[in-house]
Amino acid sequence: MRKRFNVVTRDLHLYIGLFLSPFVLVFAISVFYLVHARGEREAAVLGRVISNLAIPDELARQSGRDQVNTVRPLLDRLGVRGEVSSIRHTPKDHRLVIQVVIPGRETTVDLNLQSHAAVISERNTGVPDALIHLHKMPGPHNASIRVNSLYMRIWRWLADAATYGLFFLTFSGIYLWAILRAERRVGAVLLCVGAISFFGLVYAISY
Amino acid sequence: MPSRTETPPSIKPSARRALNTFRVWNRKGHYYLGLYFLFFVWLFAFTGLLLNHSWKFAEFWPNRRVYTFERRVEVPATDSDVDRARALMMRLGIKGEIEWTAARPDSTVFEFRVNRPGHNTSVTAYPEEGRVVVEQTETNAWGVTRVLHTFTGLRAGDDRNDRDWFLTVLWVLSMDAVSIGLVIMVFSGWYLWYRLPAKRNLGGAALMLGIAACAMFIFGLRWTY
Repeated sequence: MRKRFNVVTRDLHLYIGLFLSPFVLVFAISVFYLVHARGEREAAVLGRVISNLAIPDELARQSGRDQVNTVRPLLDRLGVRGEVSSIRHTPKDHRLVIQVVIPGRETTVDLNLQSHAAVISERNTGVPDALIHLHKMPGPHNASIRVNSLYMRIWRWLADAATYGLFFLTFSGIYLWAILRAERRVGAVLLCVGAISFFGLVYAISY
Repeated sequence: MPSRTETPPSIKPSARRALNTFRVWNRKGHYYLGLYFLFFVWLFAFTGLLLNHSWKFAEFWPNRRVYTFERRVEVPATDSDVDRARALMMRLGIKGEIEWTAARPDSTVFEFRVNRPGHNTSVTAYPEEGRVVVEQTETNAWGVTRVLHTFTGLRAGDDRNDRDWFLTVLWVLSMDAVSIGLVIMVFSGWYLWYRLPAKRNLGGAALMLGIAACAMFIFGLRWTY
């Protein structure tokens, strides 16, 4: 019975670990870009100018998720797809600037509510930025509008699954180590040293 | 008949020894690294969930405590703003990462913020009057935990700030070390799996599924959207 449990745990550790390993690489490699790169950004390329747009009247008055829901059909008509990351309204200029993101590309739609025109500019942000974007999403900012696209809904689910899977890998890993008698001593020492360095650093930095 | 995992007899004994040593240490390294970084991985995984979900039980900002006090302190004159801020922090008993918040149009006021997980301090010094106004914001353990995930001392696109607290540097180094450790664990795990011929097909399918999902998000969306 116990032997069977060990085999199942080892197999689950292996297969779940293999499935999650690319996600772990995405989160681990993006840390270097997040922590170290200051990031020179490629300039946005001005693209299309579209006039005679039918802009819903309530768009300027709305905020949060309602505004995103109203702006979505408009973006579809303009052929702009992705996660609406922010909407900035400047009433003085009658402008609504909508930022739409997919990993590696950023599109800005500058809507003029008075002239019913839109200027669409695009910026290719590349693989490093795609990794940073995926690492940070959905994140705590702009929570009222976040996760408004299909890809972000799937990514949120996958990111959660990767995290819960990582917890499983750590617990099953501890179990698989603990049943190896020959490795217990060295492993226990490393576990203690790791705990001391972790809690010591956290204590020093925050108290 | 030799199994597929056995070393071919054509390999020199010294190379075989090196390969065996590599295999042993690859396996040991996989769980030694995992055990050493266990608490770091738990912290970053758990705080990742906190950041993505904004769960009510982990709220910290509404429960923050704010203290304001004023002191008569001589604001030292030094060559650089960082040295000046550090000298002032020492006199006020504040420690943390210095953050320059804005350009200073008013040269009679010397302003900066000092951040560390759980503590954000805003310092406004009036050198000519010899006084300093300090506003301290303290958050609970949830606030500390969450900020540890993002505490790097730098923000993207911000050239005015640099890491100037040695503990920030140490924390960032530990983030790097955890990331490197995880990358090594992934590769050592792949090798451990490759050495199990009976598990190659199912394992390969799981790995390919993971690679396809990630590649779709990193490269594929730009083509399909």
